[in-house]
Amino acid sequence: MSADTDAAKHDEHRPNVALYVKVFAALMVLTLVTVAISKIHLPPAQAVALGLFVALIKAGLVGALFMHLWGENKLIHKALWITVGFAVVLILPIIDFVLISGRSTSPMAVADQHPAGHDTDKDKAGEAAEPMKAGH
Amino acid sequence: MSQAQNPAAIMNNQDTHSGVTNAKLGVWLFLASEIMLFATLFTSYIVLRMASTSWPWGWDVLNVPLATLNTVILISSSVTIVMAYAKAYDKDKGGFQKWMAATILLSLGFLVVKGFEYGHEFGLGIGPHTSVFYAIYFTMTGLHGIHILGGIAVNAGLLYMSTVDGHWRNPLFLGRVEGAGLYWHFVDIVWIFLFPALYLL
Repeated sequence: MSADTDAAKHDEHRPNVALYVKVFAALMVLTLVTVAISKIHLPPAQAVALGLFVALIKAGLVGALFMHLWGENKLIHKALWITVGFAVVLILPIIDFVLISGRSTSPMAVADQHPAGHDTDKDKAGEAAEPMKAGH
Repeated sequence: MSQAQNPAAIMNNQDTHSGVTNAKLGVWLFLASEIMLFATLFTSYIVLRMASTSWPWGWDVLNVPLATLNTVILISSSVTIVMAYAKAYDKDKGGFQKWMAATILLSLGFLVVKGFEYGHEFGLGIGPHTSVFYAIYFTMTGLHGIHILGGIAVNAGLLYMSTVDGHWRNPLFLGRVEGAGLYWHFVDIVWIFLFPALYLL
């Protein structure tokens, strides 16, 4: 395929079949690594961090080389960075709810944080026994 | 021939003033919206998991070997569709049709394997109502499955279009294949994160 064909004149990316085969092999190996990580019983935090790291490498390979983001036009890069920025702005406060502030939505934790206004198991038992008094 | 009638001129349309065709920019903006969609779901997954007093290990409650097989299938389909793009680039119609058909077959294989998984779970009376874990599991894998169906429809459409000489010779055809490939790789990336999040960690 010479560079003077129709397609090469425009913004389509020149395929690199040898590279695609190498990426395929790398993705297969990384898939096995991901499965192996889950079987060696690391502490949960380390397992999640390592699993996420391997997933990021795999996604990076697919994005950079299969989706041709490596060497893609800067306009596409800008659009993606803006998207990532919006995602982070939306996601961080929500994750903060659990991770940083230490709050939890589990029934026990909510009962601890709001002992007067929350239906604990004991309250529920009371409601079942005395339904007429259970209204809020 | 005026620019409006000349496909090559349309192909070279650089309305974005940066060398990107409008079609490719449109696909990427669509994928940006998809990133936001799945980002919110992954956030929900993180919050539900962190806030839960207990969370099952995927190996105990899901079929990890089948999911690993599906990962291999989906990664393979990412390679076959990029090979289809390479053949379309080389104007090799037979090669394009072979690799695109392989992509569609692998996609259907993914859905069949997923169907076995769902069938086994439904057979045991397990559904989204069973627990918070299964609620997020069925939501995320179900939405991903719908995206697979959409990809199959687009890829099958391109395979059909390649049999029509007017479409195959259209200079815009390569850009269409590239757009379908971008979408398919995105679906693959979503699974790359879903697989460890739900099945392994």
